[in-house]
Amino acid sequence: MSGHHHGENDHHTDHHHDHHDEHDHQVSSFHAFLRGIILFGFTLLFLSLFINGTISYYIAPKMMPFMYFAFGVLLILSVLQIIRSTSKNEEQDCGCEGHDHIPNKAWKTVLIYSIFIFPLVAGFVIPDRALDSSVADRRGVQLTGDVTTNQLINAEQLSLEEALARSEGKTAEDYLAEIDARGTGGEDEINHLTYDELYEMAGGFDEFYMGILDDAYQGDVITVTDDNFLDMMTVFDLYLDDLIGEEVEIMGFVYREKSMRVNQLVVARFSMTCCTADSQVFGMLVEGEETRQFDRDQWVQVRGVLESTTYVYKEESGDDEEPYEIEFILPVLNIKEIYEVDAPDTPYVYPNFNF
Amino acid sequence: MVTVAIVRRAQMEPNPQREKSKTKTFARSFGADLFGVLLLGAFLFLFFNFDLFKGDNAWVQLPDSWVNVNTIFLSIVIEALPFILLGVFVSALIQVYVKEDTIQRYLPQNAYAALFPAAVLGAIFPICECAIIPVVRRLIKKGMPLHVGVVFLVAAPILNPVVFASTFYAFRTEPTVLWSRMGLAFILAIIIGAILYLLFKNSHQLRESIRSKESSHTHHHTHEQSGQPGQKLTIFQRVKQVMYHTTDEFFDMGKYLIIGAFIAGVVQTFLDRQLLLAIGSNEWSSTAVMMAFAYVLSLCSEADAFVAASFGGMFTVGSLVAFLVYGPMLDLKNTIMLFAYFKVRFVIAFMVTVTVVVFSAIMVLQFFIL
Repeated sequence: MSGHHHGENDHHTDHHHDHHDEHDHQVSSFHAFLRGIILFGFTLLFLSLFINGTISYYIAPKMMPFMYFAFGVLLILSVLQIIRSTSKNEEQDCGCEGHDHIPNKAWKTVLIYSIFIFPLVAGFVIPDRALDSSVADRRGVQLTGDVTTNQLINAEQLSLEEALARSEGKTAEDYLAEIDARGTGGEDEINHLTYDELYEMAGGFDEFYMGILDDAYQGDVITVTDDNFLDMMTVFDLYLDDLIGEEVEIMGFVYREKSMRVNQLVVARFSMTCCTADSQVFGMLVEGEETRQFDRDQWVQVRGVLESTTYVYKEESGDDEEPYEIEFILPVLNIKEIYEVDAPDTPYVYPNFNF
Repeated sequence: MVTVAIVRRAQMEPNPQREKSKTKTFARSFGADLFGVLLLGAFLFLFFNFDLFKGDNAWVQLPDSWVNVNTIFLSIVIEALPFILLGVFVSALIQVYVKEDTIQRYLPQNAYAALFPAAVLGAIFPICECAIIPVVRRLIKKGMPLHVGVVFLVAAPILNPVVFASTFYAFRTEPTVLWSRMGLAFILAIIIGAILYLLFKNSHQLRESIRSKESSHTHHHTHEQSGQPGQKLTIFQRVKQVMYHTTDEFFDMGKYLIIGAFIAGVVQTFLDRQLLLAIGSNEWSSTAVMMAFAYVLSLCSEADAFVAASFGGMFTVGSLVAFLVYGPMLDLKNTIMLFAYFKVRFVIAFMVTVTVVVFSAIMVLQFFIL
């Protein structure tokens, strides 16, 4: 008799136990299923970015192997999760304690999975676009001469206008006179500096940049291309004094700051190291009456003559300290030719890590 | 007779309940499956109808600024995904395959001498920031000294090959960040461990009341694998376990990445540049802001480098290093877990120590070294 009692009690609790188990199982099974689908959604997103080529709007080419890896892993995991959700047994645990992987309230579930679905929908639905001037406004432009427009804005004393006004006095004759004075052959034309001369300038330790500069010459013109863009910015920064008077050709999108004069604009490119989020804007200041006709974000090709200008920042500190001045030296191109071009297929430029 | 009656009753009673629950179960599971399938359908639809949204006559027209937010947001998420996947995978591998006793064996007995190897241990066992707290707790229960556990807790999430890789790629043009991050993490872990040793010696700081979550409802989680990871499971089962664990941790971590990336995108698109610059170029404010940011965002250490890099143009290098060192050591998510596992006084001491040490170290770094 007592045996019977015992039997019923066990039976009764077993029911509750089974009921709980089943419910748990169902819940975790549902979550596994849902996760599998979401993972599959990510897989599809990656696939879509690969196939349509739009991945380049977000990720640098260098990082592609990682993307393929992620794609593969996501695919495998999504399939496994879906299989997991169909399994009948309890063997689904991950063997970890203390933190419950499954949210226990309905609203939490909705919230958490919405968080994951959000980037998927955004990725599929919102148009891809290359970064443009509005972002450059945020981040500032790195002008050659190791100055950013941020710094120029902060240096309030002289506006860019006023500083650049100083450079206006120079004429073409002045340029030629300067070159003559430096003794590079005394000819009327602007010479292509030979490799040896360049090498000497650098004192031999910057073979790398000399090589880049040398390669950049097409005839007498230093041509800035997508490949050498970032390196050339450094070259202009390092060797500005030696390159004054050289002709430069450069292509980029138009960027303007409020503090610039009407006859100035920056020819800029976005660089990408690994992904759009870390993009910096690099560019060169160009000057000429023709700039008035171009709007921000138009793509232009510019040929001009390199020269430098100074921007003086006067700091007048209140206390006992002496007021001091910082001089920013900015390269600027005096425009010979400027015309609009189509936006290139690859709007971003990438650094070359060939050290 | 009585017995029979009771038996009859017992047999009759559960039945209608059973019937009802069976239909409920069926309806629920059908509803769930249906929802899942619909979601899948939606994704496939979006996938195959790419042009509807991406062409010139897109269905969805957003103002440019939001498109920029989206671009930054997605690029951080997509970029970080491989590293998170790798990180949780390695972490899961370790948790399934490595017995904690193994870790114990390599530590010297002397309290101070153990600090250095503990930091090295952190480098050898790249456990994800999310998993490190339960692991350290298990280790301490098995006899690891408290301060050694602290060093491990603080160092392991950073001195981690996957984190190294993601920081390397995110800051390709600024390698100072990578070396500062790794170097500081190592040194500061030891300092923090030493300080907490001075304060607490090897006292018992674990809370005992963690049983709450492991009660009947989720009973299968008490399936502690820590003691004998290899003995009862086949290779196949272990691989499965690793994979499941990876996915679960991915979903645990992923939400913070998505939220953090979105916030980064919004901040960078909408916040006034002058304001950001003003904050970002001053060594003191930039460091404080970045540390606060790191605390709130609670990003996985595999992914935070990409978020930090997106602020590259605006904030000092030192403040970014602060973000990358402080975040993995202490953030909102960790704090919650710490309070759950450790005693209150200890957690508070820990929080204060970490914050002060990191902040001071970064200031020293900025003014004297960088």
